[in-house]
Amino acid sequence: MLAHQMALESPLIEAEAIEAMEFPELSDRYGVSGVPHTTINEGAADVIGAVPETHLVAEIQRVLGASKSQ
Amino acid sequence: MTEKLLNEDITRQISEVFGQLKESVKVLFFGQKDGCDYCDDTRKMVEEVTALSDKLEMQVYDLQDDAETAKQYKVDRAPGIVIAAKDGDNLLDYGIRFAGIPSGHEFTSLIQDLILVSGRDSGLAVDTRQFLQGVSKPVRLQVFVTPT
Repeated sequence: MLAHQMALESPLIEAEAIEAMEFPELSDRYGVSGVPHTTINEGAADVIGAVPETHLVAEIQRVLGASKSQ
Repeated sequence: MTEKLLNEDITRQISEVFGQLKESVKVLFFGQKDGCDYCDDTRKMVEEVTALSDKLEMQVYDLQDDAETAKQYKVDRAPGIVIAAKDGDNLLDYGIRFAGIPSGHEFTSLIQDLILVSGRDSGLAVDTRQFLQGVSKPVRLQVFVTPT
C-alpha cells in the first residue's frame, strides 16, 4: 500500500489502513463513501481512489505548505 | 482441531512468496476481549501468515491488559496490527498500521507490507523519497478500505 511505503521513509509519517465497515463512526467523520479514501492529517486533505505516488506527494505537500505552524 | 482460515493453495503461494523475505519482521497484534467481532479471525489470520516464515514473528496484546504498550504504539482500535522491523532485540516502528480485519484485497496489502518491511526499503521513486525524507512536520495518512 502506497501510504505504508511512504511511512517507511520518515519517522514523521504514519499510515493506517482502516477497514471502513468495522469503524463506521470514523468513516463518517471523514465523509468516506467510495474506497479507497485517504485522509491526510485528519481531514486537512482527502484523496479519493487509488492514485499514483506523485499525486499523493502533491497533496501532502499542499497540506504541509498550508499549515501555519513551522 | 480448529479449522484453518487459509487454505492449502493460498498457504503454498504465500510460502513461496515469503522465500524472498530478507530481514526479520515483528507483527504486533492488538485485540480486545469484548465488542470486537473480528478480533479472533484477525488474530488467527496473522498467526497463520507469520507461521509461514521464520523471518516473521507475532506478539499478541490486549488493548486493556496491555494499555501501556497500546499507548506506546498509539493503537486505540481493535483489531489493530503494527508491522515493525526487528533487528536483534530492537524494534523499529515505521508507523505502519492496520485497523480491522485485512481480508479480501487488504490481505494482499498485508502480505506486501510484510515483504516491504522485511526488505527495509520503500520501493518508491527517488524524488518521492527525497520529498518524504525532507518532511519536517507530522503526516498522518489514514486510508479507508473495504475488503472486496
